[in-house]
Amino acid sequence: MSLPHTLRASVTPPELELIACQQLVDIVPLIAMEKTAFISGAYGPLRPPHKARIPLWMAVTLKQKKKCHILAPEWLTVEYLQLKLTQETTQAEFTKLPFRFAELSRVMLDVASDDLQNPDKLRSLLQDLREARQAKARAGLENLEHSALGLSNLSAMEINEIRPFFIEAMAILGRLQPGA
Amino acid sequence: MDDYFSIDAILAENQRVGCRFKIDIADMGHLGGGGERDITRSNTLQLPIWLVYTVVLSDWADMIMPPAFGSKVRNALKADPCSVRLSGLVGAGGLWYVFGKTIMEILDKKQEMSDLLTNTFRKRLVQVIDQAQHFNALGPAGGVGPGGDSAQSFREGLDGTERELFALAQEGAKRMKRWYEESDRGRR
Repeated sequence: MSLPHTLRASVTPPELELIACQQLVDIVPLIAMEKTAFISGAYGPLRPPHKARIPLWMAVTLKQKKKCHILAPEWLTVEYLQLKLTQETTQAEFTKLPFRFAELSRVMLDVASDDLQNPDKLRSLLQDLREARQAKARAGLENLEHSALGLSNLSAMEINEIRPFFIEAMAILGRLQPGA
Repeated sequence: MDDYFSIDAILAENQRVGCRFKIDIADMGHLGGGGERDITRSNTLQLPIWLVYTVVLSDWADMIMPPAFGSKVRNALKADPCSVRLSGLVGAGGLWYVFGKTIMEILDKKQEMSDLLTNTFRKRLVQVIDQAQHFNALGPAGGVGPGGDSAQSFREGLDGTERELFALAQEGAKRMKRWYEESDRGRR
């Protein structure tokens, strides 16, 4: 393979972010636009002040030109994340979060932090969540088996982060079995 | 690890293991590298491991457990797997697990050996990954600090297989860190 060694183990975080940007978000447009066909589908029409659903990449572009407000998804609020954080720290298993919450929240906090309520608090909550979940993934490592691994509700970014060495470690455990 | 084309597996076979012969073999004394002409009964020779397979399976000799898996090492591993320097137990490359796997194939009691290897690997794994992710935060010169000495000595004692895992985890942690930090300024 001609790919550099570092890119073979798994996809990179920027690639995951690109994939996440295909997801639809609600915006309030500040400009009018007819329904327009893109490769991934037709979006629009945009008629302020009515809400519209468009992909995140388009929302980001519009937002940067100050032509829309991005509406925060229902999970990107202080109350919701606070609740999730409490669940995360009290329960043994991972709490359920949107599959691409890390990428989505990151992009929205970067581009549209003025559309979110209390972005600094959101950032610190997300950071706490990430750390609590990392600690759990680490605990999963202690009970690693060669044949199967059950870590449900793990998000795309987290799976991607642990994938390279979990796979390798499981392969090694498999080879250490007699008769393997 | 034991793939036909794996360089690691080939390197791990570059080990000599003591064998006690049960029969006399004429004109084969050179195998052990000694000056003697014949192999005589109950003679002990250090044979390369690829030759040990044949010799043991043909019941010409008994393998003597190499010191890397002897009772001293076993007891130390039982007490605290993380304090044993695996890289120093076997020769160049320090491929303790691959060597152990090779030995396991020759032994009758495969399960016992497998348990030893698996337990050691699993107990050390958490520490390997922890340090790989932590090491990153410390920077290239890091590792010195509270408890830095034991961490450093653990890193130096990593077996070749663990070293690869360490590099994988370190690379992953680095990429995550870069992404989390970069996206802050990238878009404005």
